[in-house]
Amino acid sequence: MTNQLRNPVQKLWQDQPVEGITMSAEIIRKRAARFERKILWRNVREYVAALIAAVTLGYFLVTARDVFARVTFGLLIAGLAWMVVQLHRKGSVRSMPTGVSTLTSLQFYRTELERQREAVNSVWSWYLAPLIPGLLVYSVWSAIRSPRPAAWLGLALMNAVIAGMFYVVWKMNVRAARCLERMIDELKAAENSY
Amino acid sequence: MTVDSTPDELYHDAARVYGAALGRLARAYEADADLRRDLLQEIHIALWRSFSSFDGRCSLRTWIYRVAHNVAASHVLEQRRTRSQALVGLEELENLPDGNNTQQAADRRHAFDRLLNMIQRLKPLDRHVILSYLEGHDAAAISEITGLSLGNVAVKIHRIKNLLARQFQQGETR
Repeated sequence: MTNQLRNPVQKLWQDQPVEGITMSAEIIRKRAARFERKILWRNVREYVAALIAAVTLGYFLVTARDVFARVTFGLLIAGLAWMVVQLHRKGSVRSMPTGVSTLTSLQFYRTELERQREAVNSVWSWYLAPLIPGLLVYSVWSAIRSPRPAAWLGLALMNAVIAGMFYVVWKMNVRAARCLERMIDELKAAENSY
Repeated sequence: MTVDSTPDELYHDAARVYGAALGRLARAYEADADLRRDLLQEIHIALWRSFSSFDGRCSLRTWIYRVAHNVAASHVLEQRRTRSQALVGLEELENLPDGNNTQQAADRRHAFDRLLNMIQRLKPLDRHVILSYLEGHDAAAISEITGLSLGNVAVKIHRIKNLLARQFQQGETR
């Protein structure tokens, strides 16, 4: 486009000073490797955090005196492992989105939103549910160990707080899924319009 | 730049010809200077990588803008989780009050800031169309890169022209 054909707003936009970057092939290779390392460390940090939690629970499992406590901590570790595997599979920390060059912007944007919607919709099965068996066994174990009304009341309160937190997380995700659904519908309508 | 060029050659030429446009694109998608540098670097790396699979089925310009906008849109979606400002469509922006302050309109810096602020509030696809329009791309090119139909692009460009004319109190020159 020549200067004569640009309208004032286009001229305003195109004439802005920009901080462009130029990199030789060698430098971009190094930067790409550094970028990959950054992503790798981000993944490692997540796994290390899960590992610390698992080791802590593992310590409790090994030192627990009765079978109920061991089952509780075992189930919590299994739930944690399941969450980490799902987190990895869903690719919450990916190096580069797939399809950046093969999909049109419309397709790419819709695919990314659908991926997010899938993650949000399934939050119950991979983020909340894995912790429930361990928490249930813990509640039963605590109720048997301390058969007093006051202890049961405390246990009931604790379970109510946990249930409340689960409900809030689930509700927030339902709302996010609805918002994503609306955006996806808008894009589908745009794809089908002529 | 041809299909037979090596990925390094394609990248080198792309960075030389479209470097400034990619810088403007990054600015439209990220307000924070540090994050913008990261985004621009991410776009360059994605481009360099993508050229190994460039087969010439679309023009190099289409390829470059598609990769750049897609990486930037992905960045916006990631950042959306941590930022409170809701993104809007062109339709909602049309309801903004007119920019009728002539003194402000005369201030080039202020006008640019307003334009940038307006662009950064848009949803990625509408942002893509307005940026392409501001870069001077025609409707056919915008349609090819975005995947929107020509009719849809024409409607959006019409809206963009009206919006910019109202907001900046300047008539179209073409």
